[in-house]
Amino acid sequence: MASAAESFRELALSGANNMNPNGEKLEPPDLSHYEENRSKFPPEELLKYAGKFVAFSPDGLRIVASGDSWEELDADLEAKGIHFSQVVSSYLCPGDVSCI
Amino acid sequence: MSLHFPYTLVPMPYAVVSLGGRWSRPRPLITVSLIGPTSAHSIDGRLDTGADDTIFPERLAAVIGADLTVAPRGQATTADMTPISVRYAHVTLRLTDGKERCEWPAWVGFSPRIRRPLLGFAGFLQFFTATFHGDREQIELTINGLYPGT
Repeated sequence: MASAAESFRELALSGANNMNPNGEKLEPPDLSHYEENRSKFPPEELLKYAGKFVAFSPDGLRIVASGDSWEELDADLEAKGIHFSQVVSSYLCPGDVSCI
Repeated sequence: MSLHFPYTLVPMPYAVVSLGGRWSRPRPLITVSLIGPTSAHSIDGRLDTGADDTIFPERLAAVIGADLTVAPRGQATTADMTPISVRYAHVTLRLTDGKERCEWPAWVGFSPRIRRPLLGFAGFLQFFTATFHGDREQIELTINGLYPGT
C-alpha cells in the first residue's frame, strides 16, 4: 500500500492536482510581503525547526508544515490540505554548524 | 530595475566566534518561484557566486510538471568535491522583493542530492549584477543586458 507521501507524489507526477478547478495552471501566490515578514520571524521559533524541511505561509508569518525530508513535508502539507504551490518551502540548516 | 533583499538571519544556539560572538549568521537566502508546465513552487535558495549552475532539488521537477525523462544530463561536484548527477530543464523563474518583480526563462538543473537550491551563474546570476553589501547585510540584484525576461 502506497504511503501518503508516495500517493501525493504520484498525483503531482500525473499533473492532475496541479491545476485549479478550471484546468488552468496554478500560479505562485503573492509573495510581496514574504521577505519582509520572514526576516522578522522569531529566532527562537526557527531554532525549533533546525535541520527540518518546512513550508512558510506566503506572507512569511507562519510555518504551516514541516518534516525531516521533502517527502515528509509533502505528506504534512497534504494532510493539512495545503497545496504545495501555495507555500514557500525551505530547508533550515542545523543550527550548530556553519555552511561552507 | 533593482531588487533588494536582506540577508536571512539564521539563529544559532551558540555565540558565533568568527562573527564576534553574535547569535545569528546572516546568509544570502532569497525566495524564488519555479514555474513549470503545470504548476509552480516557491522555495528559498542560496545565492552562490561559486556555483556554475542553478540547481534545485529533483522533487520539484515533478511538482511543477517538468519532464526529466529525456532531459539533458550532466555531472556536478559539491564544495567537498562529491559528484552529483544533474538533469536540466527549461523553466521560468520569478523573483520579487515586494516592490519589483522579474520573471525570466532559464535552464536549471535538478538533482536528488540537493537539499537547498543553489542560485548560481547559469540561469540566474548571469542575468544580474549582484552586489553583496556586507555592512548592511543586504543583497542588490540589478538586471543586466543579458536579462531575457520581463
